[in-house]
Amino acid sequence: MAGLEADAVWTPAPPVSRRSRVPATLIWGALIVLVVLALAAAAPWIAPYPYDEMQIMARLKPPSFAHWFGTDDYGRDVLTRTLIGARLSLLMGLGATAFCLAIGVPIGLYTGYRRGRVEEIVMRAMDVLMSFPPILLGLLVLAVTTPSLWKTVLAVGVVYVPAIVRLTRSVTLELAQEEFVLAARARGDGSAYIVLREILPNAWPPIAVEGSLRITFAILLGAALSFLGMGAQPPSSDWGLMISEARAFVDRAPWIALAPGIAMCVTVIGVNLLGDGLREFLDPRMRSGKGS
Amino acid sequence: MSTDPPTPPAVLDVAALTVSYATRRGRVSALREVGFSIQTGETLALVGESGSGKSTVALAVMGLLGPEATTHGGTMLFNGQDLRRLTPGQKQALRGDRISIVFQDPFTSLNPGLPIGLQVAEPLIFHRAMSEAAALDKAVEALAEVGLPHPRELVRAYPHQLSGGMQQRALIATALICDPALVILDEPTTALDVTVEAQILDLLDELRRRRGLSMLFITHNLGLVNRICDTVCVLYAGSVIEYGPTAQVLSAPAHPYTMGLLTSMPRLDPVHRRTRLIPIAGKFPDLTQLPTGCIFHPRCAHAEAACRENAQTMAPVAADHAVRCWKSVAINAAQETMAPLQRAAVPPRVSVQQGELLLELKGLRKIYPLSTRLTRARLGIPGTRASIPWFRLERPEVRAIDGVSLSIGSGETLGLVGESGCGKSTLGRCVVRLLEPSSGSVLFRGRDISRADRKQLRTFRGLAQIVFQNPISSLNPRKTVGAAIDRSLANFSGLAREGALARRTEILEQVGLAGNYADRFPHQLSGGERQRVGIARAIATGPKFIVCDEPVSALDVSVQATVLNLLSDLRDQLGLSYLFISHDLSVVAHIADRIAVMYAGTICEEGPTDAVLAPPYHPYTATLLSAIPSPDPTVARNVRIRPRIDGVAGKVPMRGCVYHHRCPRTLGKMCEETPPPIVQAAPGHWIACHLPLAELEAMPAVLPIRVSDGLQSPAGGHASAAVVHSGTAPE
Amino acid sequence: MGFYVAKRVATIGVILVIISGLIFVITQGLPGSVARMIAGQFATPDVIAAIEQRLHLNDPLFTQYWRWASGILSGDLGQSLIMERPIGPMLREALANSALLATISIVLLTLVGVSLGIVAAIKHNSMLDHGISVFTFLGISVPEFFWGIVLILVFAGYLHWLPSGGAGNLSAGWGAWASHLVLPAATLTFALIAHVSRMTRSSMLETLRSPYVLFARAKGLPERVVLVRHALRNALLPTITVLAIDIGLLIGGVVVVETVFSYPGLGRLLIFAIERHDLPLIQASILVIAAIYCFANLVADLLYAYFNPKIRYGGTRS
Repeated sequence: MAGLEADAVWTPAPPVSRRSRVPATLIWGALIVLVVLALAAAAPWIAPYPYDEMQIMARLKPPSFAHWFGTDDYGRDVLTRTLIGARLSLLMGLGATAFCLAIGVPIGLYTGYRRGRVEEIVMRAMDVLMSFPPILLGLLVLAVTTPSLWKTVLAVGVVYVPAIVRLTRSVTLELAQEEFVLAARARGDGSAYIVLREILPNAWPPIAVEGSLRITFAILLGAALSFLGMGAQPPSSDWGLMISEARAFVDRAPWIALAPGIAMCVTVIGVNLLGDGLREFLDPRMRSGKGS
Repeated sequence: MSTDPPTPPAVLDVAALTVSYATRRGRVSALREVGFSIQTGETLALVGESGSGKSTVALAVMGLLGPEATTHGGTMLFNGQDLRRLTPGQKQALRGDRISIVFQDPFTSLNPGLPIGLQVAEPLIFHRAMSEAAALDKAVEALAEVGLPHPRELVRAYPHQLSGGMQQRALIATALICDPALVILDEPTTALDVTVEAQILDLLDELRRRRGLSMLFITHNLGLVNRICDTVCVLYAGSVIEYGPTAQVLSAPAHPYTMGLLTSMPRLDPVHRRTRLIPIAGKFPDLTQLPTGCIFHPRCAHAEAACRENAQTMAPVAADHAVRCWKSVAINAAQETMAPLQRAAVPPRVSVQQGELLLELKGLRKIYPLSTRLTRARLGIPGTRASIPWFRLERPEVRAIDGVSLSIGSGETLGLVGESGCGKSTLGRCVVRLLEPSSGSVLFRGRDISRADRKQLRTFRGLAQIVFQNPISSLNPRKTVGAAIDRSLANFSGLAREGALARRTEILEQVGLAGNYADRFPHQLSGGERQRVGIARAIATGPKFIVCDEPVSALDVSVQATVLNLLSDLRDQLGLSYLFISHDLSVVAHIADRIAVMYAGTICEEGPTDAVLAPPYHPYTATLLSAIPSPDPTVARNVRIRPRIDGVAGKVPMRGCVYHHRCPRTLGKMCEETPPPIVQAAPGHWIACHLPLAELEAMPAVLPIRVSDGLQSPAGGHASAAVVHSGTAPE
Repeated sequence: MGFYVAKRVATIGVILVIISGLIFVITQGLPGSVARMIAGQFATPDVIAAIEQRLHLNDPLFTQYWRWASGILSGDLGQSLIMERPIGPMLREALANSALLATISIVLLTLVGVSLGIVAAIKHNSMLDHGISVFTFLGISVPEFFWGIVLILVFAGYLHWLPSGGAGNLSAGWGAWASHLVLPAATLTFALIAHVSRMTRSSMLETLRSPYVLFARAKGLPERVVLVRHALRNALLPTITVLAIDIGLLIGGVVVVETVFSYPGLGRLLIFAIERHDLPLIQASILVIAAIYCFANLVADLLYAYFNPKIRYGGTRS
């Protein structure tokens, strides 16, 4: 109530700069994500050892100056494998998210703006897809075919398509009722123009936020599938498989599991902070400081 | 006010109250040195536009200001006890018991998850330590007292099962259940339709008299003030700028702002109906950076150097009447001689006689099917009360528009008035083919546009435009003002880039915006400016006809006047025809040549403005007219025509006359079963009603004649002024 | 309400038919020889032919599906290839174990998650709120199996307080039996608690800002009544929705956690079946899990309807 009154007042050309309103969560999240991405991208060059080089003499060695994160049961450098693993884990997270956005956003925009029978059919199909618990769809596909990374990416991506379709559709539905969209129709603009130029620019903030959160889900789900032996295949390894392989030695050499675990934790926290920060930053209610 | 203490102790005496809010943009000064007092049995109006701080006063008195608010000083004496010095526990004990409040929006003020009865009874349970059963019994009585039917059943109902008016009655019952010494009403009728508002006001008036209630009535509507309040306190940007008895303040306002509020209001009475509105210039100040000197000087037509320098203090202009303006006496003297001149400066527009037919609606219907559901119907056995339940699959539908035929001539403005949910916006959208009608036709220059091919439709789009209600959603937040207009020009003007740019500037100037507005984004504009951009976008296609869908409803009264004036000017300059849709009959009567009154998807009366506003009326038109409170204290309005019940949401009769279940004059079976005939009362004036024309003509005139105008001397003096037949009043 | 339930149950029936078809098509209809997958890459043609004979893999796909589906409807889930036992009893035993673990987890999740959310909302922006936020954030930032391993390391490896895995036997006493459930349930709860607590917090905050809570305060009600009766009740509605979504994640978690803790449940059975290419067992267990998920969602929807009078008392449902 009180807030509304204060907000109803209009300020001529707000002097507050955009920079000062960027939430701290967004800055920290972006920073963490950038560092993780840079490390993963540079992994082959900065990693101290080849990722599959086995040193039989240096098996299960605790962290030392030569091996910062220790070595695993084959004598491979854990730091190296964590860095290389980042590439696979991030690939799964980003690849699956890109896939579900690429499929989900157009479908959502179309069904949300055009409505009708197509919408009905698509939404029922999404219902069916959603009635699988997320991990099962992945398991189902990977159970019967030879596991491979790209299949994991697709399986994880497909699982998240319904969520993206639903979100995009509901945002589109809402925007299609807005008076500025009606005004565009009244001045004779076509559907393509309206969807791409009037609706999409206003629809992408929530989609971006959702997409960033999907990355964390995808990283975690991909890791779980790898952990169960249905993602990355040895000798290449992502964080999930690394933890899986480390299980047998966890009492003797916990660092083998801890290194990828902590790496995953930092990454996911970074992406989550980024998503939360984006939400705060892009939410028009929070940004313009006024509104309805 | 606090300087001349009233003789009996006031129920509430607020003095020098100063409150500010911490916001991200800085400290917002919400109230500065606000003072007023309320005597026992008195109703004080706190009047102001949005941002004036009126709700802050309510929250401060209730002790419910949030943590972002700081009270810097002042006293709030409630029966001699300073509310600011109470402990949180003591405040809680007073709230809902000695002081209670009714908020603006009944839909959100009731908890959706709890039954009505418990919510009404709660204050008794906690302040009177009553058992729940005893409190619920009291709640039944309280619900009955506020005029709710079937209170015993209502106690178990949930809020979503009640209409808005019923919900507001339940809230009033809650506020009164502990018999408080003071009731605060914070815009209690703003969210309601005007006929429901009138019923709520009748109720408040009656309760006030019966119980001797003291009320603090917060509103932006001067008509309501005149209807129910004894004293007025006008707030502007957190300061009291005028304070005095209602009759005096409204008939002889002393502050330029109060005068501005009055002159910018469209009035229904025949004398002022068509005269040009005089808006308040400028914009509401930024509360983080208030102007120096008099806070109103940037908008004041009478401001001079001294106003910019000296802060103003309240000074008496008459007994009990004080104003925060040192020039008030001088201005008033000037105003006495100027006011009639100013009003006369622009002659009232002569109604356009329907010339060339531009647009014609024939039997238009828009029906929305609802999802199929299985319902339990009952087979009644004649003569007994027994019935057999059986199930059937029902295809419910909403008839948003149910057979509407209208026509608009070129250069003519047809006003479409109706309450929320009557289908008027749907109609507006069908007319410009943003919605496809279910049946019937829309003829534009004789061509049916619902059957138009792509090319014809495109031509039509250029010629027929629409202006929307909501200044926030009507502009794309990610496009500049210029881009919005450019697109209209690109689609229809056929101008090259250079020409289009020049034309854009021209159009912006036409709607009163400087050319540099083209680079601004919607969030950098005020509500009135956004509405101007909406209008600019519409006229950029070069239209002949514009649907104005509640174009001023979301605006404060002073801004509303500016936009209404702009629309009138554009109409005259560009030779436009309007379909002007509004819920506010005063606004429609101000701008329209003819009026169509809509109820539940049908037109119940249609005719020239003056004819519609005078008998013979459709009973619904009479109800609407009689519901509108006039801000003019020199007229008394004693004709009260109220609907029978305050309309349960979504229940429209499927047979007979759509209005029969609320109509105060229903004839019973005939109205319930047969759709009414459409009778011509005069050339071009049609009424859809079963009542004989003679009876409709005999209905009392609702609109008053101002005695002071001396146009027609009422026989019975003041009190019966309203009963005078105003239909033939010269203009 | 009755009609609503009937409609929902009917919808679930249709969805299960589609799902069973989907499962069958994916497992048996995808290109590549099923028999070769089961028998391995180096199997002789004789072995392949024998498997194809045994599983009727040469029949048309629809005939195979019809045989499978009608078997399920008559209560016959088929025969495990590896264990050479009927699948029904195996599934039943595993299901009982998993259901126990999942129920304990969901109860814990609800109780702890909702309480943390309420506390965080009431004390919002305090140290306590931030503390809860960080704690729950850690839970969702790392997959269940990692926390499972960490918990095993700490409580079983170093402290020796709890068993590292397996299922207890009631004959060894209640304590021993329950001790096997502590770590898996704690892992599952921790992994999901952030969803519940954050949703409860934000919807509680939103409710606390609503006009009806302001009006409840204006009535002079004690803060406790305002919080519990007026705010909490409505604030829990979105939480129910989140819990419904979490059921799906919980099922995934159960699969992983059972593997980590060697807990003899449905998840471990499924992984076992996948590893050994036991096709009938894969099909049956996935179908059962999907069916459970559908019904769990139904329960969540009904709970939502129960707490929301707008649905309970019908009329305007739009």
